[in-house]
Amino acid sequence: MFTELDPILHSQLRLAVMSLLISVKEAEFTFIKEKTNATAGNLSVQVQKLREAGYIEVTKQFKDNYPQTTCKVTPKGVEAFENYVRALQQYLQVGGNGK
Amino acid sequence: MAEEKQMTEQESLQLITEMINKAKGHYQESGTGPILWGTVVGIAGLVSFAEHYWHFSIGFDIWWIVFLAFIPQIVISVREGKQKKTVAYQEAYLNTIWLVFGISIFMLTFYFNVIPGASERLMAGDNQQVWIKNTATGELKQSRPFILSAQSLLLLLYAMPTLATGIAQRFKPMVIAGIVCYGMFILSCFLSSTWDLLLNGVAGILNWLIPGLILRARYLKGKSC
Repeated sequence: MFTELDPILHSQLRLAVMSLLISVKEAEFTFIKEKTNATAGNLSVQVQKLREAGYIEVTKQFKDNYPQTTCKVTPKGVEAFENYVRALQQYLQVGGNGK
Repeated sequence: MAEEKQMTEQESLQLITEMINKAKGHYQESGTGPILWGTVVGIAGLVSFAEHYWHFSIGFDIWWIVFLAFIPQIVISVREGKQKKTVAYQEAYLNTIWLVFGISIFMLTFYFNVIPGASERLMAGDNQQVWIKNTATGELKQSRPFILSAQSLLLLLYAMPTLATGIAQRFKPMVIAGIVCYGMFILSCFLSSTWDLLLNGVAGILNWLIPGLILRARYLKGKSC
């Protein structure tokens, strides 16, 4: 029986954000924007969805008089990401065997 | 990148791999810190060796420059911290290792300075004193208790974070320097303290200055691309 793919993660931009954050301790919003080539508006919406799901932590502060937003994956986010990758592997294994 | 696009499982996996590689490729050490510490430890070691070997004095303890180097190091750390957009896990762990190394060096210096006086007092409490006998003339001279081959302990301490960083980052110059530094520690156990000072200077150059210059060259090359 297949595990259902997490709908929060099974979206291109949210998955890209999570994959970036899983690799680092924390990252600035501008870094995520640069690496995903997303617009600030779209990225803000998706970051908010990930935050509401409890997958990431968002910290807003001022650095040299400029607002700075930092994102960090939470333990719940790590677990969800691992489950997502495991579910993907299940699908791919079956797909690969069927060929 | 559009949020709504439906992905196949294969595409999801490709996206994960691509993003992880993008995040990994971002971190690049500027080499400024290792150059600073390699230079000061190298100069301090070589100058103090020269003072002992050729019997002259520059008028102050050259090792103070190592403590003064904390000032530019703080400035460098703050400046680089401001420029950083991410903190990689490995970077965070290695920074912790170097912070603990800094504390350990401080504690070892404390040990070097405190032990002779403390030992003298403890021995006096037991009605004991240290005397050194010249076996050729038979002359007896009272001495303060002292730590034998103290500089060897510094070499031992230098080798630890250097080798750990080299292995973690797969950076051969630091792996080689760390191993050579352990070798220099063993060698220093059989040499006089004058030669230990020379080994300290060489360790500074090998462990940090040379790897720092290599890192700097890589960093500048990466920036210009």
